[in-house]
Amino acid sequence: MRALRNLKEALRGLALHKSKTLLMTLGVVIGIASLTVIVAIGEGAKAKVLARISDMGFGPEAFSVAAGAGRLFFARTKTPTTLTLADVDDIRAMPTVQAAVPHQRQSMRMVYKRNNTFTRVYGVTPEWQSARLWKLSDGSFFTDEDMKRKAKVAVLGATPAGKLFGDEDPVGKMVRIGKVYFRVAGVLEKKGVTESGFDPDDRVIVPLSTSISRLFRQTWLFSIRIHTLDPSKVQETMEGVRQLLRKNHNLSVFAEDDFRFITPEGIMEWVTAEERALNRMLVLISAVSLLVGGIVIMNIMLVSIRERIREIGIRRCFGARRSDITQQFLFESIFVSILGGTAGCALGATISFILKKFHVLAAKPTWESFVVAFVFSAAVGLVFGIQPARKAASLSPEETIR
Amino acid sequence: MSLIRMENIVKTYLSAGAETPVLKGIDLRIEEGEYASVIGPSGAGKSTLMTIMGCLGSPTSGRYILDGEEVETLNDAQLSRARNEKIGFVFQAFHLLPGVKAIDNVMMPLLYCHKVPADARERARESLETVGLGHRLHHSPGQLSGGEQQRVTIARALVNNPKIILADEPTGNLDSKNGAEVMRILDQLNREGRTIVIITHDPKVAQHGRRTISLMDGRILEDRRHESVTQFEGSPSRAGSA
Ligand SMILES: Nc1ncnc2c1ncn2[C@@H]1O[C@H](COP(=O)(O)OP(=O)(O)OP(=O)(O)O)[C@@H](O)[C@H]1O
Ligand SMILES: [Mg+2]
Repeated sequence: MRALRNLKEALRGLALHKSKTLLMTLGVVIGIASLTVIVAIGEGAKAKVLARISDMGFGPEAFSVAAGAGRLFFARTKTPTTLTLADVDDIRAMPTVQAAVPHQRQSMRMVYKRNNTFTRVYGVTPEWQSARLWKLSDGSFFTDEDMKRKAKVAVLGATPAGKLFGDEDPVGKMVRIGKVYFRVAGVLEKKGVTESGFDPDDRVIVPLSTSISRLFRQTWLFSIRIHTLDPSKVQETMEGVRQLLRKNHNLSVFAEDDFRFITPEGIMEWVTAEERALNRMLVLISAVSLLVGGIVIMNIMLVSIRERIREIGIRRCFGARRSDITQQFLFESIFVSILGGTAGCALGATISFILKKFHVLAAKPTWESFVVAFVFSAAVGLVFGIQPARKAASLSPEETIR
Repeated sequence: MSLIRMENIVKTYLSAGAETPVLKGIDLRIEEGEYASVIGPSGAGKSTLMTIMGCLGSPTSGRYILDGEEVETLNDAQLSRARNEKIGFVFQAFHLLPGVKAIDNVMMPLLYCHKVPADARERARESLETVGLGHRLHHSPGQLSGGEQQRVTIARALVNNPKIILADEPTGNLDSKNGAEVMRILDQLNREGRTIVIITHDPKVAQHGRRTISLMDGRILEDRRHESVTQFEGSPSRAGSA
């Protein structure tokens, strides 16, 4: 097999010109490594959002309405004050609504003895627990009675419980949230950090009445979780809620909604749209980085061929055909880029792993990205190697031997 | 049938729009088993003649028939095969592949054979032994003396058993002792029946052949047959020493 012999000669040539081989490989390594890392970061971001959806505990019959115009998690106003308890009462009165759970939310500092932590504080009604189906590992959830009395009781997520109390039993102890002291009523069961690094246990739950009048000192709500009687009623209920809120908030026909719906479908739609945009960018970035790698290969090959003109001439004198020379140099560039592609994949996987390990970015390497990177790197070697290889073969032996 | 037959070969180089006529009508026949020297001053066109003889370049006009084949009609694969099977080149500047062991350098022509012989490595080793380098198989050119390098190139020229050895100034880069050794090997090859064409500007080297073709300004000035000096000397190994 002539091709096999030419491949052997190509490998010999690469081994003989180690520094050039290294340089060419490096060009591809950088391109492929950045490509795989970028893809891994994209995948990680997607996984993070998906984890967040599952963390929200949406069943198919539920959705949320959040204060402020905008989309999904992104409000255009900083602290929208339009959503109120009156809205909640009106929503509860709708025939298709089974439950409506109002939420207030702020991030605050919590202190117990010498320990302190920063966490998300939620003010909710007692029906929150049954709606979220979140069990307690210790103590009990606050009651309607606590709600009525605006009791200063708190239910801790596993993360602040661990950070503040360590091995101590938190139930019955007093903790300070902001400037207000609360008695710990219970601890939520631990869910564990999601793969993407989101910690659902990093939270504290207090009665809504308490958060309104004693902690946040604000009457407006952050969001309302609405559970309908039946998944088929979600669309109809959402439309009803929209009309209701627009009327309650005195919005004119021309004004846009000052609230936004958060539904699993909406989030999924957004994720896929984001993903599409991200993919477009990835294609661009990878194209550019591989282009750079390819140009490096082409230039070094061209220089190399100029330096190895004599070698080409000698081979031609002793029976190498033009096609043998083309193959030899093409094999060199393809081998180098595959080598670079493989090393780049390994480097990319390592970087992704480190990013994840040290919680810098939620990078999630996928094997598909490595297959694509590998194929691409081989293609780069082929495409950018052809011109130099052709050039090497086109030299006439009488010129190359002089 | 002549091994080499040239009819009115003309070669004109075109560079930067200027025409340089180098060969101006060469008629030449070389028979199998001949030992010929092409002699002439620098710039006479000797090397150019060799590139045409060796199918490395084509003439501007004229006919060249190598071993019965009209060279002009051959395609790249056929020309490559002709170079591979019929001709063994020896160059003044050795032209060995740098960084490649002697045995691999010698084996290289066999790799481009139509069908690679199974015993290629063995044949390369034998060829190196023929030129007295059986103990230098794994040295790369940089680790060999000039004389040794030139003997490796002869081994390489011989390895595929070609009909013709074309040697362009084979002693040009060597001292007299190494030059004599190289000439002794070439003399021996001719005695074994191999056709040899030596290109040189050194009359002493030319004397080894039995025919001297004088080239001057692109034309054959003289084509003279004579006795080989080696046949007058008792010890061929001292022949050719200047
Ligand atoms: N590619 C080229 N373009 C233009 N002129 C060339 C080219 N190659 C050779 N020549 C010219 O052709 C002439 C003959 O060159 P050639 O190499 O055949 O000479 P030579 O007889 O081998 O000389 P020497 O003994 O110095 O090796 C020279 O004058 C040279 O300048
Ligand atoms: Mg010359």
